[in-house]
Amino acid sequence: MTDYLTHLEHESVFIIREAYKKIRNLGLLWSMGKDSTVLLHLVRKSFLGHVPIPLVHIDTSYKIPEMIQWRDQYVKDHGLRLIVGQNKAALDGGMGPDKGRLVCCGALKTQALLDTIKENNIGGLLLGIRRDEEGSRAKERVVSPRPEDGTWTYKDQVAEIWNHYNLHLPESVHMRVHPLLHWSELDVWEYIQREKLEIMPLYYSNADGKRYRSLGCWPCTGTIDSCATTLDAVVEEIRLTKTSERAGRAQDNVDAYAMQKLRSQGYM
Amino acid sequence: MTEFKQRKLVIVGHVDHGKSTLLGRILMDFGKIPQEKIDKVSRTCQSRGIQLEPAFFLDALQEEQEQGISIDTTRVNFEFDGKRFLLIDAPGHLEFLKNMTSGASGAETGILVVDGYDGICSQTLRHLKILGVLGVANVVVVVNKMDKAGYSQSRFEEVAAEIRAHIEKEQKCLSVIPISALKGENLSQSAKELDWYKGLPLLAQLVEHTDAQCRLDSEEGAGEPFRMIVQDVYRFTDERYFAGRIVSGQISAGQKIFFSPSGKESTIAAIETFPATQKETAVKGDSVALRLKDQIFIERGEIISLPEESPEVNSEMEAKLVWLNSTALDWTQEYLLKIGTAEVTCRLEPAGNGGAVENIVNGDFVDVVIKTRTPVSFDRGNKGGVDKLVLCTTYETVACGSIKALSSHAGIKSAKSKNIVVESGFVRRQEHEHKHGHKGAVLWTTGLSGAGKSTLARALERRLFDDGYRVVVLDGDNLRSGICADLGFEPQDRSENIRRVAHMAKLFLNTGAVVITACISPYEKDRRMAEEIIGEEDFNELFIFCPVEVCQQRDPKGLYKKASGGQIKDLSGLNAPYQPPAKPKLRLDTSTVGIEAEVEAVMKLLHSKGIKPAPVGKEFVAGAKYNSGINKASQ
Repeated sequence: MTDYLTHLEHESVFIIREAYKKIRNLGLLWSMGKDSTVLLHLVRKSFLGHVPIPLVHIDTSYKIPEMIQWRDQYVKDHGLRLIVGQNKAALDGGMGPDKGRLVCCGALKTQALLDTIKENNIGGLLLGIRRDEEGSRAKERVVSPRPEDGTWTYKDQVAEIWNHYNLHLPESVHMRVHPLLHWSELDVWEYIQREKLEIMPLYYSNADGKRYRSLGCWPCTGTIDSCATTLDAVVEEIRLTKTSERAGRAQDNVDAYAMQKLRSQGYM
Repeated sequence: MTEFKQRKLVIVGHVDHGKSTLLGRILMDFGKIPQEKIDKVSRTCQSRGIQLEPAFFLDALQEEQEQGISIDTTRVNFEFDGKRFLLIDAPGHLEFLKNMTSGASGAETGILVVDGYDGICSQTLRHLKILGVLGVANVVVVVNKMDKAGYSQSRFEEVAAEIRAHIEKEQKCLSVIPISALKGENLSQSAKELDWYKGLPLLAQLVEHTDAQCRLDSEEGAGEPFRMIVQDVYRFTDERYFAGRIVSGQISAGQKIFFSPSGKESTIAAIETFPATQKETAVKGDSVALRLKDQIFIERGEIISLPEESPEVNSEMEAKLVWLNSTALDWTQEYLLKIGTAEVTCRLEPAGNGGAVENIVNGDFVDVVIKTRTPVSFDRGNKGGVDKLVLCTTYETVACGSIKALSSHAGIKSAKSKNIVVESGFVRRQEHEHKHGHKGAVLWTTGLSGAGKSTLARALERRLFDDGYRVVVLDGDNLRSGICADLGFEPQDRSENIRRVAHMAKLFLNTGAVVITACISPYEKDRRMAEEIIGEEDFNELFIFCPVEVCQQRDPKGLYKKASGGQIKDLSGLNAPYQPPAKPKLRLDTSTVGIEAEVEAVMKLLHSKGIKPAPVGKEFVAGAKYNSGINKASQ
């Protein structure tokens, strides 16, 4: 009988295939994290092992160094097409978290993303965001159109009824497509476990008894205390936890609506 | 262990009757809200000087918390008693109706929240009716804010009786339950203030009321008619895969299948998955990729069924709609109908059952007849399940609804008779093509008068004929002297002319012929209509380009001369519009290219699509030849 994870998988595959059929120059926004890993696997499921779209990574230059090494090795091993975006002008101007966390996210993530979309004429991106991550993502649609400046009109989103996604849009607009929107953090981990997916070692507890629950830029992403050194142990830990996934993300806690503000301007 | 199937419920009701509060409270009581989130919401509430508002766990947007409203829908997973629930929160304001509908369309059961103090309000009834249009037949009513209503049994019974009277005839009211969401009373446990209520508390009743749906889900479509909606066709290697989703029933490798509306048939060779294992059977809800035994041509929008239980194919259907846009329904405008994965242009007509037809705006219900430009396949009622549709303008979804019953009259676009039924079962196009040894196609030339359409058609016809093709030419001026003799050159007459030519081309195409049309066809919209009638794959737009000055010099029919003399007032490109095609299959500049090279270019196009006659004396093998050509064409 079809179990719950399989149900989620089939729903996501449907969404990915709709996006691939309808959107010109579709890409996959890939952060190498657990959600991106599942998303990439679902792309392979959708296209019978093929990855017919490029991966897009926004490199803030503040990423945990192991992430970049892992990224380059993975792309090489699997013969994938990777587009790396970076806001070099801001970095040359000394941009960093000391200029204010939200300002930094805005320049090195949001602006870099919008520039990369424009430079590469990308019509849409698959993103691994989920409703249960934080409040403003919970209000997202599966398909969210963004004008050239990337803004999210969260007060007036298009209707999305049954599986009829709105994928017709003018050239200047790009699409954010969220195939994992209905997945939970635990679903993602259980799926990684079931499908035996390769995952970055930073998610496992190190010699100091620390591990990352969510991966991001090193100045703004904290580790958690954990003794989970295997995938099974991580899944068990997530099943029992009472704290939220992004508790270690400093930018979320700058003010009560920090993520909404970032996301309304085009943050992922 | 938690069961596999998810029970999907949507919480609906009037503004401020406590929908988000109910959901937030349930989540909080069951430890689903992380402590730091409770702390965060507590701080926000304290700073506003209000008591802890459970709705804020869901209404995360700043504007929502400041105004105490839900703007958009969200959904949360929740487990109770080993059962897996999906609870969907829907906003109550009329302005946010499209958000409410977006949320509610994902549900199987509705929880209608009514304020026990205020009673039934406008959105209470509207939401109930929308659930009906969406096919959410099972409704549980909760009478909320019983604390505010003094826990009065008589008040509860009054509200319960009133709401029961409004349940639609296709709907079932499973029960009416008194609660206080704010205080968490009668949610998971009975409350002593409501001791006069003898039923189980809300959550226990929800389990009970969703058991039947859950059992049905567990059957995974067994016994239902098989329906798969085709999303795309993939060709990453030499194999072709038909990708789509099973929305009803089940299927196994080796079974014979039927495609609608094209009427083609094939047999499933394998159900493919990644990593490379093959599945023997696929069931309702699965996203699958099929490999077929024959190489047939299928596009997105088709429905796959078993041959003996195929869906309806028609260009007219009656539907019940809810309008979701502030711009009123326009009976003269064209809309895009989406049903299954099919998308087709349509117009709407009032169903003529006496309902209001003027100024249908956001939140209004209307019965319509949908008339599509080309036939589509669908199911009626709930049988088969491809009966849910949305209507769109270019970038917006403006309405949604369900197909009611097959309308009593049927036919293509402008059929006036009410007694026409589309017949099928004639010799199929594939059989014609097999017999004559090549595939059919339509070569649709467009360009100014004097650009060289008829010249090319004539030369091409000769060449195709000599090469052993079956070929038919539909020349604009010739048709206008006969079958289109009643038409002039006004835009609507030009449109009708193109419609007729397209349908004629389609008739010949269905006999496997290569059809060449030679009409100015100046309007993009009309050419797209022709493409839709003929089918995207078979429609080859050839732009016969020639500068208007050169056309004027050539002036083979003396039309430009007459136009400059004022005798003709609507010559395309001169004093009437000509809209050049944006993406023709071929663009031939006849002022620089000679006729022989033009013919060669078209022959190359045909060959690249595998449209070649079988060599004399050799038997034509439909699959192999047909397939190899298609591979090339679409790479």
